Amino acid sequence: MASLDYAYRRLVNTLGPERVARSEFERMVYSHDFASLPKVALLQWKLYPDFVALPQTTEEVAALVKLSDESLLQLTPRGGGTGWYGGSVPNRGGVLVDMRKMNRVVAFDPDGRTVTVEAGMTWKDLEDFVDAKGFALPIVPVNAIGSTVGGSINSGSSGFGAPRGGSLRDAIALLQVVLPDGTLLKTASEADAGGHLANLTPLFFGAEGTLGIITEATLRIVPKPETSKAIAYAFPSLAAGARFLKEMVDVALVPYHATLASRDHFIFERALHPDSPDPADIALVAVQGSKDEVADQERTVDGLASKEAGAKLAPAVTDQLWRERYNNYSARRLSRGLVTSHNLVPVSRLPEAVETALEIRDKLKLNGAVQAFLVDSTTAALVPYVLMDDTRPSGGTALGFVKRMGDAAFKMDGHSMGLGLFLVFNLRKMHGRATSFISAVKVVFDPRKKINGGKTLEVWTKYPWPGLRAIPPPGMAVGLEIAAVLRRAKPTRDRFVRAYEHGKEE
Amino acid sequence: MGLLRDWNYIERAVQIPALSEVIREALIRALFVRDDRVLPKDLIADLNRVPPVTVKVKDDGEVRKLVRVLNGEESTLSLGLSAEDYHYFRTQLGVGRTREFGAVVRPRTLLTYDWIVPEQRGVQLDFGGYAGIEFADGAHRAIAQVGATWKQLYDDGAAKGHAVPFVPTVPLDFAIGDALCGDAPFASYRGEFASYVNALRTISPFGHRARLGFEEVANNGTAYDLLHATVPLAAEFFIPVAVALRLEAKPAARKTLTYAFDDGAKLAAALDKLSRTSQTPSWVHITEAVAAKILRPAVASGAFTAQVTVGGSASGLAAKEKAIDTAMAGFTSKNAELPNPFDVPADGYRKSAEAVARSLFVGEVRVPAKSFGDFAGKVRTFGDQTAAKAGVYGSLRHTGIVSAFPFFAAPKDRSKVYDLSKGVRAIASRIPGTTFTSRLAHLWEEEAHFMRRMAFLRSLKLTIDTAHVVQPLVSP
Repeated sequence: MASLDYAYRRLVNTLGPERVARSEFERMVYSHDFASLPKVALLQWKLYPDFVALPQTTEEVAALVKLSDESLLQLTPRGGGTGWYGGSVPNRGGVLVDMRKMNRVVAFDPDGRTVTVEAGMTWKDLEDFVDAKGFALPIVPVNAIGSTVGGSINSGSSGFGAPRGGSLRDAIALLQVVLPDGTLLKTASEADAGGHLANLTPLFFGAEGTLGIITEATLRIVPKPETSKAIAYAFPSLAAGARFLKEMVDVALVPYHATLASRDHFIFERALHPDSPDPADIALVAVQGSKDEVADQERTVDGLASKEAGAKLAPAVTDQLWRERYNNYSARRLSRGLVTSHNLVPVSRLPEAVETALEIRDKLKLNGAVQAFLVDSTTAALVPYVLMDDTRPSGGTALGFVKRMGDAAFKMDGHSMGLGLFLVFNLRKMHGRATSFISAVKVVFDPRKKINGGKTLEVWTKYPWPGLRAIPPPGMAVGLEIAAVLRRAKPTRDRFVRAYEHGKEE
Repeated sequence: MGLLRDWNYIERAVQIPALSEVIREALIRALFVRDDRVLPKDLIADLNRVPPVTVKVKDDGEVRKLVRVLNGEESTLSLGLSAEDYHYFRTQLGVGRTREFGAVVRPRTLLTYDWIVPEQRGVQLDFGGYAGIEFADGAHRAIAQVGATWKQLYDDGAAKGHAVPFVPTVPLDFAIGDALCGDAPFASYRGEFASYVNALRTISPFGHRARLGFEEVANNGTAYDLLHATVPLAAEFFIPVAVALRLEAKPAARKTLTYAFDDGAKLAAALDKLSRTSQTPSWVHITEAVAAKILRPAVASGAFTAQVTVGGSASGLAAKEKAIDTAMAGFTSKNAELPNPFDVPADGYRKSAEAVARSLFVGEVRVPAKSFGDFAGKVRTFGDQTAAKAGVYGSLRHTGIVSAFPFFAAPKDRSKVYDLSKGVRAIASRIPGTTFTSRLAHLWEEEAHFMRRMAFLRSLKLTIDTAHVVQPLVSP
């Protein structure tokens, strides 16, 4: 391996000094993603990158990839860092490639209804651009403000608009990827209007940056709806809200979006923003169509909500909820840290799923909230989060929640989302005997495991020695299970916000 | 689909010095039409050879056992065949010799044409008798064995309160598995067939049951989405035995609106406009006069007919109809009573499918909605020039693209198929934004990124199917 100083000089020669960082502070910023990690994790992984590189063009990304053949440093691509499972965090240091300087619109084609953007553009910026042109995105990932186009594609995200607009995978017409050998690949035909048989785009959907570095994406856009309306209801229980969401699917209503958040979420919000809505189990539904259609859909949704004793919220409250729809985790400020569990569960079992999430949270004596939204006619996303303070000795044990929630999702015929660095043990649970097929994809694209190696399919440690080089994925599961047991043994419940406890007593 | 094998065969063939002198396209033609003036006779004989053994599958356990026999893990004795069949099986397959043999899934109904390179000496699997459908209780999901017909799924689903969202653009009597091992053109207004596939139950090349995706939920965020990357080519990587499909709830009310147009340009403008509204019909099916005559012989139709099916609450349907009427401006007449090709009794559907199947199809053309009239006109002219009366079936997507299937009243011989395919390709190349996506069109394609993608797919196939059992790739 070349010396780090030599590697630094080569990087600076490629990108210029202002776009290569190696200071302690900058490296620390990139040593974690949105999830909180206990310091003990540093014993296992070299989470701090050796360098942070900020390319601005596809050619620069290709140069970085070729350079890694010389320096033998791992490459870790990263978007907005809004992931949860360590997919964009280094495990052996190396070069972290921050894509956020590649944030331009490359082409806009109103006739073909596509927009081509660089991978580091955030969804919110893209949504604003498309909106200004009189179009809309069929789907916008949940963390649209920070989440980048490349990041969401790599994590296989879902989000706003999915029931109507379909999967994010279907919204991608084409990706441009720098492969591990430094060459460029277009994952589908440029002239393609769908229907082409050699479309490799799905392989990159959820690949967590382990097959190559996405530099550009051509996305489908849709005409702006004639009318859109958001409607919100407060339900007597979270399960009632979940039944309401399920009913919508059962009556063949296809909303633009339908989401549910537990009362606790709004208690946290209230603790931070006094003007936030009164705490309750709230469902937020958005419908689109012609004016008459929207009115008809609203009547149908009203009827379904009243069956579950849902009370319609005032338009001003609904507007506020819709405006703030991309801000889901401000509660993090209450506790310094937050852990989220992303799962997909069958819509038919959503009421059971939200109750299970609350049960697990309470068993582990955690403070947290449950959020869920419809993905399609069979699938709902269940996204509970819990607060944690990783500066306390008991803080890290909150990570056991993710393991328990994932197990519960599998039991309900669903699955957890994301593998990254921390949840690789779920791979075999997800795919069973097909795991070897999935692993074959990495073998074909990146046999030398150069890009984001040691993740998704296996867990590398920072140690290069045989025997310690990798952790058997079930070992990670055992570790998280122990965390959950310790958490359960903790005598007291977390008390991050007095208002929260007060609200529970009321 | 057999695309990988055909592509691999051609790629290898052009590396043979004697054949490299023949330009790629000429070679594809020679292979496709079995031209004995260009190719050696023994090669033609090889190409014309069909699999000697056909196994009618009743249970996926039989397939597992067969795969294990084919990859040498088990003896032919374990198949439990009668002495006569045992002898036949071993002699036909040449068991004990050194050559490889594999298994290929035979589609129930093939829209276009058979592959260039057939399974050379292996086993053909007929899933016609493996046709069960299981609907989930309380959820809108079905698991259909690959031999189940689309019509059976559609009708049974409706009886159980589900709506099957996708329909075949060319209404033939397809099995669900034909979308995995054949070329069944299933789609809805909002998505391709793959969008409705939650999971595949497969038999791996090592004889294991392996599930790709998740039967009850979407396959998002679970590492590489191999499922959706391989759906149209699934039978070249594994042996698919059942598909978990995402259905929708049956709407309280449903209506099919039939619009007649006397002019292709007006229809094209209407389709483009419809796709630019926020309407989400279940499907939009388009026929020009020749196709309409085949589908509805008793009904007089205009130059073009577009059928739009919408569902929703009884009260909401009127609003939808009004919005669609506005978008479809330019129609000469509208009919809300005319039956659509799909909601007819099974016998009637089969009868009409038989009539549709008599035509010669060359594959799918993706054409922007606003150019559909131009495309249909060019296809008609081309048909007149080649003395093969032409027509088009189509379906509109929300992306503003029409998936069009031109057809010809011509005998289905391979040289005719080839020449007509070339003609359609030429038409598609003259209309901006249009792509011809047939299997032959893929073989003609030489763009660098496409070649690279195919090479990746071939590597992936060889890595997954190291036993060379599932449609093994063969060289000339």
